[in-house]
Amino acid sequence: MARKSLIISPELCIGCRGCQTACKEWNQLSGVKTKNTGTVENPPDLTPNLYNKIRYVEIPSDANPVRWLFVSQRCMHCDDAGCMKICPAPGALFKTKEGAVAFNKDKCIGCKLCVAGCPFDVPRYDEKDKVSKCHMCSDRISEGLAPACAKVCPTGAISYGDRDSMMGKTKGTGYQKLYGEADLGGLGVLYAFKDAPKVYGMEEHPAIPEAVVFWHKVLKPLAYWGIGGAVAASLLHYIAFGPKKDGEVK
Amino acid sequence: MTNGSMIRKASAFNILNHWVMAASFLILAVSGFGFLFHLEQLNAVFGSFNKMKVIHNWTGVVFAASLFFTIFSYLPVSLKLTSDDIAWFFGAGGYFSKKAKMPPQDELNAGQKLYYIVILLAGIGLAVSGFIIWLMPGIRKWILLSFLAHNIIFDLLLIAVVLHIYLATLANPGTFRIMVYGTVPVEWARKRHAKWVQKMGF
Repeated sequence: MARKSLIISPELCIGCRGCQTACKEWNQLSGVKTKNTGTVENPPDLTPNLYNKIRYVEIPSDANPVRWLFVSQRCMHCDDAGCMKICPAPGALFKTKEGAVAFNKDKCIGCKLCVAGCPFDVPRYDEKDKVSKCHMCSDRISEGLAPACAKVCPTGAISYGDRDSMMGKTKGTGYQKLYGEADLGGLGVLYAFKDAPKVYGMEEHPAIPEAVVFWHKVLKPLAYWGIGGAVAASLLHYIAFGPKKDGEVK
Repeated sequence: MTNGSMIRKASAFNILNHWVMAASFLILAVSGFGFLFHLEQLNAVFGSFNKMKVIHNWTGVVFAASLFFTIFSYLPVSLKLTSDDIAWFFGAGGYFSKKAKMPPQDELNAGQKLYYIVILLAGIGLAVSGFIIWLMPGIRKWILLSFLAHNIIFDLLLIAVVLHIYLATLANPGTFRIMVYGTVPVEWARKRHAKWVQKMGF
Protein backbone atom coordinates (compact mmCIF):
# COMPACT_ATOMS: atom_id res chain seq x y z
CA MET A 1 0.00 0.00 0.00
CA ALA A 2 1.23 3.48 -0.86
CA ARG A 3 2.33 5.41 2.18
CA LYS A 4 -0.17 8.04 3.28
CA SER A 5 0.70 11.38 4.75
CA LEU A 6 -0.63 14.72 5.88
CA ILE A 7 0.73 17.87 4.35
CA ILE A 8 0.41 20.98 6.45
CA SER A 9 0.67 24.44 4.91
CA PRO A 10 0.84 27.01 7.73
CA GLU A 11 0.37 29.89 5.31
CA LEU A 12 -3.09 28.57 4.47
CA CYS A 13 -4.11 28.15 8.09
CA ILE A 14 -6.48 30.75 9.52
CA GLY A 15 -6.17 29.45 13.08
CA CYS A 16 -9.80 28.38 13.45
CA ARG A 17 -8.68 25.30 15.38
CA GLY A 18 -11.48 23.25 13.88
CA CYS A 19 -8.87 20.46 13.59
CA GLN A 20 -8.32 20.47 17.35
CA THR A 21 -12.05 20.13 17.91
CA ALA A 22 -12.64 17.53 15.21
CA CYS A 23 -9.75 15.48 16.58
CA LYS A 24 -11.25 15.53 20.05
CA GLU A 25 -14.67 14.59 18.67
CA TRP A 26 -13.51 11.64 16.61
CA ASN A 27 -11.11 10.33 19.26
CA GLN A 28 -13.56 11.04 22.11
CA LEU A 29 -11.08 13.13 24.05
CA SER A 30 -12.57 15.25 26.78
CA GLY A 31 -12.06 18.99 26.87
CA VAL A 32 -10.26 20.73 29.69
CA LYS A 33 -10.80 24.09 31.28
CA THR A 34 -7.97 26.39 30.21
CA LYS A 35 -6.79 29.86 31.10
CA ASN A 36 -6.54 32.87 28.84
CA THR A 37 -2.83 33.56 28.61
CA GLY A 38 -3.20 36.26 25.99
CA THR A 39 -2.59 34.03 22.98
CA VAL A 40 -4.71 32.05 20.61
CA GLU A 41 -2.42 29.09 21.38
CA ASN A 42 -4.66 27.27 23.77
CA PRO A 43 -4.21 24.83 25.45
CA PRO A 44 -0.53 25.79 25.60
CA ASP A 45 0.82 22.28 25.01
CA LEU A 46 -0.15 18.81 23.81
CA THR A 47 -1.83 16.75 26.51
CA PRO A 48 -3.05 13.13 26.69
CA ASN A 49 -6.40 14.57 25.55
CA LEU A 50 -5.00 16.87 22.88
CA TYR A 51 -3.40 15.03 19.96
CA ASN A 52 -3.23 18.03 17.68
CA LYS A 53 -2.60 21.63 18.57
CA ILE A 54 -2.21 24.84 16.63
CA ARG A 55 1.04 26.56 17.50
CA TYR A 56 0.74 30.31 17.12
CA VAL A 57 3.78 32.30 16.03
CA GLU A 58 3.72 36.07 15.61
CA ILE A 59 6.55 37.62 13.62
CA PRO A 60 6.03 41.34 13.19
CA SER A 61 8.44 43.13 10.87
CA ASP A 62 8.55 46.53 9.19
CA ALA A 63 7.54 45.07 5.87
CA ASN A 64 4.77 42.98 7.35
CA PRO A 65 3.65 44.11 10.78
CA VAL A 66 0.98 41.41 10.94
CA ARG A 67 2.62 38.13 10.12
CA TRP A 68 0.82 35.37 11.96
CA LEU A 69 1.75 31.74 11.55
CA PHE A 70 -0.44 28.85 12.65
CA VAL A 71 1.31 25.49 12.70
CA SER A 72 -0.43 22.23 13.46
CA GLN A 73 1.74 20.38 15.96
CA ARG A 74 1.32 16.65 16.53
CA CYS A 75 2.95 13.25 16.01
CA MET A 76 5.00 13.40 12.80
CA HIS A 77 4.63 9.67 12.05
CA CYS A 78 8.34 9.15 11.34
CA ASP A 79 9.33 6.26 9.12
CA ASP A 80 12.28 5.62 11.45
CA ALA A 81 10.44 6.38 14.69
CA GLY A 82 12.46 7.01 17.85
CA CYS A 83 9.51 6.10 20.06
CA MET A 84 9.18 2.68 18.43
CA LYS A 85 12.92 2.11 18.55
CA ILE A 86 13.19 2.68 22.30
CA CYS A 87 9.85 1.09 23.29
CA PRO A 88 10.45 -2.13 25.28
CA ALA A 89 6.91 -3.49 24.89
CA PRO A 90 6.14 -5.27 21.60
CA GLY A 91 2.97 -3.99 19.96
CA ALA A 92 2.55 -0.96 22.21
CA LEU A 93 3.59 1.32 19.35
CA PHE A 94 3.16 -0.01 15.84
CA LYS A 95 3.05 1.01 12.19
CA THR A 96 -0.22 0.78 10.32
CA LYS A 97 -0.18 -0.29 6.70
CA GLU A 98 -0.67 3.36 5.75
CA GLY A 99 2.57 4.26 7.58
CA ALA A 100 0.99 5.89 10.65
CA VAL A 101 2.57 5.31 14.07
CA ALA A 102 -0.34 4.04 16.17
CA PHE A 103 -0.50 2.68 19.71
CA ASN A 104 -2.19 -0.03 21.72
CA LYS A 105 -2.81 1.03 25.32
CA ASP A 106 -3.26 -2.57 26.47
CA LYS A 107 0.29 -3.40 25.39
CA CYS A 108 1.82 -0.17 26.76
CA ILE A 109 3.70 -0.82 30.00
CA GLY A 110 3.83 2.83 31.03
CA CYS A 111 7.63 3.18 31.14
CA LYS A 112 7.54 6.55 29.32
CA LEU A 113 10.75 5.86 27.40
CA CYS A 114 9.00 6.87 24.17
CA VAL A 115 8.82 10.42 25.51
CA ALA A 116 12.62 10.48 25.71
CA GLY A 117 13.03 8.78 22.33
CA CYS A 118 10.79 11.15 20.36
CA PRO A 119 12.61 13.87 18.39
CA PHE A 120 9.51 16.10 18.50
CA ASP A 121 8.43 15.83 22.15
CA VAL A 122 5.05 14.40 21.20
CA PRO A 123 3.95 11.36 23.29
CA ARG A 124 1.96 12.12 26.42
CA TYR A 125 0.73 9.84 29.19
CA ASP A 126 -2.86 9.56 30.36
CA GLU A 127 -4.07 9.17 33.93
CA LYS A 128 -3.57 5.38 33.68
CA ASP A 129 0.06 5.90 32.62
CA LYS A 130 -0.55 4.78 29.06
CA VAL A 131 0.82 6.40 25.91
CA SER A 132 -1.44 8.87 24.13
CA LYS A 133 -0.82 10.76 20.89
CA CYS A 134 -2.00 11.39 17.34
CA HIS A 135 -2.37 8.11 15.43
CA MET A 136 -3.43 9.77 12.19
CA CYS A 137 -6.97 8.55 12.92
CA SER A 138 -5.80 5.02 12.12
CA ASP A 139 -9.38 3.80 12.51
CA ARG A 140 -10.51 6.23 9.80
CA ILE A 141 -7.67 5.88 7.30
CA SER A 142 -7.92 2.08 7.42
CA GLU A 143 -11.44 2.57 6.00
CA GLY A 144 -10.23 4.95 3.31
CA LEU A 145 -11.37 8.11 5.11
CA ALA A 146 -9.25 11.18 5.75
CA PRO A 147 -8.16 11.89 9.36
CA ALA A 148 -10.64 14.08 11.23
CA CYS A 149 -8.33 17.13 11.18
CA ALA A 150 -7.86 17.01 7.41
CA LYS A 151 -11.54 16.28 6.83
CA VAL A 152 -12.66 19.35 8.73
CA CYS A 153 -9.98 21.84 7.64
CA PRO A 154 -11.81 24.56 5.70
CA THR A 155 -8.80 26.04 3.89
CA GLY A 156 -6.78 23.04 2.84
CA ALA A 157 -4.02 23.85 5.34
CA ILE A 158 -4.16 20.18 6.33
CA SER A 159 -4.49 17.79 3.44
CA TYR A 160 -4.28 14.01 3.35
CA GLY A 161 -3.47 11.47 0.68
CA ASP A 162 -0.79 9.34 -0.98
CA ARG A 163 2.54 10.66 0.20
CA ASP A 164 4.35 10.67 -3.14
CA SER A 165 1.64 12.18 -5.29
CA MET A 166 0.78 14.80 -2.66
CA MET A 167 4.42 15.79 -2.37
CA GLY A 168 4.60 16.26 -6.12
CA LYS A 169 1.43 18.29 -6.15
CA THR A 170 2.50 20.57 -3.30
CA LYS A 171 5.93 21.12 -4.80
CA GLY A 172 4.20 22.11 -8.03
CA THR A 173 2.68 25.07 -6.23
CA GLY A 174 6.10 26.59 -5.64
CA TYR A 175 7.86 24.73 -2.81
CA GLN A 176 11.41 23.56 -3.48
CA LYS A 177 11.55 21.28 -0.50
CA LEU A 178 9.06 20.10 2.08
CA TYR A 179 9.95 19.78 5.73
CA GLY A 180 10.30 16.11 6.58
CA GLU A 181 10.85 14.77 3.06
CA ALA A 182 13.91 12.82 4.12
CA ASP A 183 14.29 13.36 7.87
CA LEU A 184 13.98 10.22 10.00
CA GLY A 185 13.44 8.09 6.95
CA GLY A 186 10.77 10.51 5.75
CA LEU A 187 8.05 11.93 7.94
CA GLY A 188 4.39 11.03 7.59
CA VAL A 189 3.49 14.64 8.34
CA LEU A 190 5.10 17.10 5.94
CA TYR A 191 5.22 20.85 6.27
CA ALA A 192 5.15 23.26 3.35
CA PHE A 193 7.26 25.98 4.92
CA LYS A 194 8.02 29.23 3.10
CA ASP A 195 10.71 30.15 5.61
CA ALA A 196 13.31 28.47 7.81
CA PRO A 197 11.76 25.70 9.95
CA LYS A 198 12.74 27.44 13.19
CA VAL A 199 10.50 30.37 12.25
CA TYR A 200 7.62 27.92 12.56
CA GLY A 201 8.95 26.45 15.79
CA MET A 202 10.42 23.32 14.23
CA GLU A 203 13.97 22.02 14.42
CA GLU A 204 16.05 22.24 11.26
CA HIS A 205 17.37 18.69 11.46
CA PRO A 206 15.22 16.53 13.72
CA ALA A 207 16.94 13.31 14.77
CA ILE A 208 16.54 10.41 17.17
CA PRO A 209 18.63 11.13 20.31
CA GLU A 210 22.19 9.86 19.88
CA ALA A 211 21.89 7.84 23.08
CA VAL A 212 19.03 5.84 21.55
CA VAL A 213 20.90 5.27 18.28
CA PHE A 214 24.06 4.17 20.13
CA TRP A 215 22.02 1.84 22.30
CA HIS A 216 20.28 0.33 19.28
CA LYS A 217 23.41 -0.12 17.15
CA VAL A 218 26.03 -0.98 19.77
CA LEU A 219 24.69 -1.80 23.21
CA LYS A 220 21.92 -4.15 22.11
CA PRO A 221 24.17 -6.43 20.02
CA LEU A 222 26.84 -6.21 22.73
CA ALA A 223 24.42 -7.81 25.18
CA TYR A 224 24.51 -11.18 23.43
CA TRP A 225 28.00 -10.85 21.92
CA GLY A 226 29.26 -10.02 25.41
CA ILE A 227 27.78 -13.16 26.94
CA GLY A 228 28.92 -15.27 24.00
CA GLY A 229 32.39 -13.77 24.10
CA ALA A 230 32.76 -14.29 27.85
CA VAL A 231 31.60 -17.92 27.60
CA ALA A 232 33.94 -18.54 24.65
CA ALA A 233 36.87 -16.90 26.46
CA SER A 234 36.19 -19.04 29.55
CA LEU A 235 36.07 -22.26 27.53
CA LEU A 236 39.18 -21.29 25.63
CA HIS A 237 40.99 -20.61 28.87
CA TYR A 238 39.83 -23.93 30.25
CA ILE A 239 41.17 -25.76 27.22
CA ALA A 240 44.43 -23.81 26.93
CA PHE A 241 45.39 -23.49 30.59
CA GLY A 242 42.99 -25.69 32.51
CA PRO A 243 41.72 -25.30 36.05
CA LYS A 244 43.84 -24.44 39.05
CA LYS A 245 43.96 -27.92 40.53
CA ASP A 246 44.66 -27.89 44.22
CA GLY A 247 47.90 -29.81 43.82
CA GLU A 248 49.20 -27.28 41.33
CA VAL A 249 48.55 -24.17 43.42
CA LYS A 250 51.71 -22.93 45.05
CA MET B 1 38.66 -32.30 53.92
CA THR B 2 40.58 -35.44 54.65
CA ASN B 3 42.03 -34.35 57.95
CA GLY B 4 38.85 -32.48 58.79
CA SER B 5 40.46 -29.13 59.55
CA MET B 6 38.14 -26.53 58.06
CA ILE B 7 37.99 -22.75 58.14
CA ARG B 8 34.88 -20.64 57.70
CA LYS B 9 35.17 -18.35 54.65
CA ALA B 10 31.58 -17.12 54.36
CA SER B 11 28.86 -16.66 56.95
CA ALA B 12 25.38 -18.10 56.50
CA PHE B 13 24.14 -14.55 55.93
CA ASN B 14 26.73 -13.94 53.21
CA ILE B 15 25.73 -17.15 51.46
CA LEU B 16 22.02 -16.37 51.62
CA ASN B 17 22.61 -12.80 50.47
CA HIS B 18 24.77 -14.01 47.58
CA TRP B 19 22.02 -16.26 46.29
CA VAL B 20 19.32 -13.64 46.74
CA MET B 21 21.51 -11.33 44.67
CA ALA B 22 22.19 -14.02 42.07
CA ALA B 23 18.51 -14.92 41.74
CA SER B 24 17.44 -11.29 41.48
CA PHE B 25 20.14 -10.60 38.90
CA LEU B 26 18.98 -13.58 36.85
CA ILE B 27 15.35 -12.37 36.90
CA LEU B 28 16.45 -8.83 36.05
CA ALA B 29 18.74 -9.95 33.24
CA VAL B 30 16.19 -12.29 31.66
CA SER B 31 13.41 -9.69 31.77
CA GLY B 32 15.94 -7.09 30.61
CA PHE B 33 16.67 -9.23 27.56
CA GLY B 34 12.92 -9.49 27.05
CA PHE B 35 12.63 -5.70 26.93
CA LEU B 36 15.68 -5.31 24.69
CA PHE B 37 14.65 -7.85 22.09
CA HIS B 38 10.85 -8.00 22.52
CA LEU B 39 10.97 -11.65 23.59
CA GLU B 40 7.27 -12.44 23.71
CA GLN B 41 8.13 -16.06 24.55
CA LEU B 42 8.81 -14.76 28.08
CA ASN B 43 5.09 -14.16 28.53
CA ALA B 44 4.99 -17.88 29.36
CA VAL B 45 7.10 -17.05 32.44
CA PHE B 46 6.05 -13.53 33.42
CA GLY B 47 2.48 -13.47 32.09
CA SER B 48 2.67 -10.23 30.13
CA PHE B 49 5.04 -7.35 29.47
CA ASN B 50 3.02 -5.27 31.92
CA LYS B 51 3.63 -7.82 34.67
CA MET B 52 7.24 -8.27 33.59
CA LYS B 53 7.82 -4.54 34.07
CA VAL B 54 6.41 -4.63 37.61
CA ILE B 55 8.51 -7.70 38.44
CA HIS B 56 11.61 -6.11 36.88
CA ASN B 57 11.19 -2.94 38.94
CA TRP B 58 10.57 -4.64 42.27
CA THR B 59 13.26 -7.25 41.73
CA GLY B 60 15.53 -4.25 41.24
CA VAL B 61 14.70 -3.23 44.80
CA VAL B 62 15.68 -6.70 46.05
CA PHE B 63 18.91 -6.51 44.03
CA ALA B 64 19.75 -3.08 45.45
CA ALA B 65 19.08 -4.30 49.00
CA SER B 66 21.29 -7.37 48.59
CA LEU B 67 23.99 -5.17 47.10
CA PHE B 68 23.80 -2.94 50.15
CA PHE B 69 24.26 -5.91 52.49
CA THR B 70 27.49 -6.93 50.75
CA ILE B 71 29.20 -3.69 51.71
CA PHE B 72 30.00 -4.63 55.32
CA SER B 73 31.57 -7.98 54.48
CA TYR B 74 33.50 -7.19 51.34
CA LEU B 75 34.22 -3.48 50.99
CA PRO B 76 36.81 -2.95 53.76
CA VAL B 77 39.06 -5.78 52.56
CA SER B 78 38.53 -4.84 48.91
CA LEU B 79 39.78 -1.32 49.49
CA LYS B 80 43.07 -2.62 50.92
CA LEU B 81 45.62 -2.39 48.14
CA THR B 82 49.05 -3.81 49.00
CA SER B 83 52.19 -4.55 47.02
CA ASP B 84 51.10 -8.19 47.06
CA ASP B 85 47.96 -7.22 45.19
CA ILE B 86 49.96 -5.37 42.57
CA ALA B 87 52.24 -8.38 42.19
CA TRP B 88 49.18 -10.60 41.85
CA PHE B 89 47.94 -8.46 38.96
CA PHE B 90 51.38 -8.49 37.29
CA GLY B 91 51.28 -12.27 37.45
CA ALA B 92 47.70 -12.23 36.12
CA GLY B 93 46.72 -14.25 39.18
CA GLY B 94 48.60 -17.26 37.86
CA TYR B 95 45.80 -17.94 35.39
CA PHE B 96 48.08 -17.99 32.37
CA SER B 97 50.98 -20.00 33.73
CA LYS B 98 51.13 -23.17 35.78
CA LYS B 99 54.56 -22.21 37.13
CA ALA B 100 53.66 -18.79 38.45
CA LYS B 101 53.84 -18.40 42.20
CA MET B 102 51.45 -15.81 43.58
CA PRO B 103 52.30 -13.61 46.58
CA PRO B 104 50.29 -14.28 49.77
CA GLN B 105 46.76 -12.85 49.58
CA ASP B 106 44.17 -11.41 51.95
CA GLU B 107 40.72 -12.86 52.59
CA LEU B 108 40.02 -11.82 49.01
CA ASN B 109 42.76 -12.04 46.41
CA ALA B 110 43.53 -9.01 44.25
CA GLY B 111 41.27 -10.20 41.44
CA GLN B 112 38.40 -10.80 43.85
CA LYS B 113 38.89 -7.33 45.31
CA LEU B 114 38.72 -5.80 41.87
CA TYR B 115 35.65 -7.86 41.03
CA TYR B 116 33.89 -6.70 44.17
CA ILE B 117 34.65 -3.03 43.47
CA VAL B 118 33.38 -3.44 39.90
CA ILE B 119 30.19 -5.16 41.09
CA LEU B 120 29.58 -2.55 43.76
CA LEU B 121 30.03 0.42 41.42
CA ALA B 122 28.17 -1.22 38.56
CA GLY B 123 25.37 -2.29 40.88
CA ILE B 124 25.01 1.21 42.29
CA GLY B 125 24.97 2.66 38.77
CA LEU B 126 22.42 0.10 37.65
CA ALA B 127 20.18 0.70 40.65
CA VAL B 128 20.35 4.49 40.53
CA SER B 129 19.73 4.67 36.76
CA GLY B 130 16.93 2.13 37.10
CA PHE B 131 15.21 4.08 39.83
CA ILE B 132 15.49 7.29 37.79
CA ILE B 133 13.83 5.65 34.77
CA TRP B 134 11.17 4.15 37.03
CA LEU B 135 10.38 7.07 39.28
CA MET B 136 11.45 10.28 37.53
CA PRO B 137 10.22 9.93 33.95
CA GLY B 138 9.68 13.68 33.52
CA ILE B 139 13.19 14.87 32.81
CA ARG B 140 14.23 13.90 29.30
CA LYS B 141 17.98 14.44 29.72
CA TRP B 142 18.10 12.36 32.89
CA ILE B 143 16.07 9.58 31.31
CA LEU B 144 18.32 9.36 28.26
CA LEU B 145 21.44 9.44 30.43
CA SER B 146 20.04 6.81 32.79
CA PHE B 147 18.86 4.70 29.88
CA LEU B 148 22.38 4.80 28.43
CA ALA B 149 24.01 4.03 31.78
CA HIS B 150 21.56 1.22 32.54
CA ASN B 151 22.33 -0.48 29.24
CA ILE B 152 26.11 0.04 29.28
CA ILE B 153 26.35 -1.38 32.81
CA PHE B 154 24.03 -4.23 31.89
CA ASP B 155 26.38 -5.28 29.08
CA LEU B 156 29.37 -4.97 31.38
CA LEU B 157 27.76 -7.01 34.13
CA LEU B 158 26.72 -9.79 31.78
CA ILE B 159 30.38 -10.28 30.87
CA ALA B 160 31.52 -9.92 34.49
CA VAL B 161 28.98 -12.45 35.77
CA VAL B 162 29.87 -15.07 33.15
CA LEU B 163 33.57 -14.75 34.08
CA HIS B 164 32.64 -14.82 37.78
CA ILE B 165 30.73 -18.08 37.33
CA TYR B 166 33.61 -19.63 35.38
CA LEU B 167 36.24 -18.54 37.92
CA ALA B 168 34.15 -19.72 40.87
CA THR B 169 33.43 -23.16 39.43
CA LEU B 170 35.39 -24.76 36.59
CA ALA B 171 38.52 -22.65 36.84
CA ASN B 172 39.04 -23.04 40.58
CA PRO B 173 37.95 -26.41 41.93
CA GLY B 174 37.10 -26.18 45.62
CA THR B 175 35.84 -22.59 45.47
CA PHE B 176 32.16 -23.14 44.83
CA ARG B 177 31.60 -24.85 48.19
CA ILE B 178 32.21 -21.49 49.89
CA MET B 179 28.83 -20.33 48.62
CA VAL B 180 27.20 -23.63 49.69
CA TYR B 181 28.76 -24.64 53.00
CA GLY B 182 30.77 -21.53 53.76
CA THR B 183 33.82 -23.54 54.79
CA VAL B 184 37.01 -24.65 53.06
CA PRO B 185 39.90 -26.87 54.18
CA VAL B 186 42.54 -24.85 56.00
CA GLU B 187 45.29 -26.10 53.72
CA TRP B 188 43.27 -25.13 50.65
CA ALA B 189 42.80 -21.66 52.07
CA ARG B 190 46.44 -21.30 53.12
CA LYS B 191 47.60 -21.71 49.52
CA ARG B 192 45.23 -19.01 48.30
CA HIS B 193 44.71 -16.62 51.18
CA ALA B 194 47.87 -17.01 53.25
CA LYS B 195 47.66 -13.62 54.99
CA TRP B 196 44.09 -14.18 56.03
CA VAL B 197 44.63 -17.74 57.29
CA GLN B 198 47.57 -16.53 59.37
CA LYS B 199 45.50 -13.68 60.77
CA MET B 200 42.77 -16.15 61.71
CA GLY B 201 45.33 -17.99 63.84
CA PHE B 202 45.87 -21.15 61.84
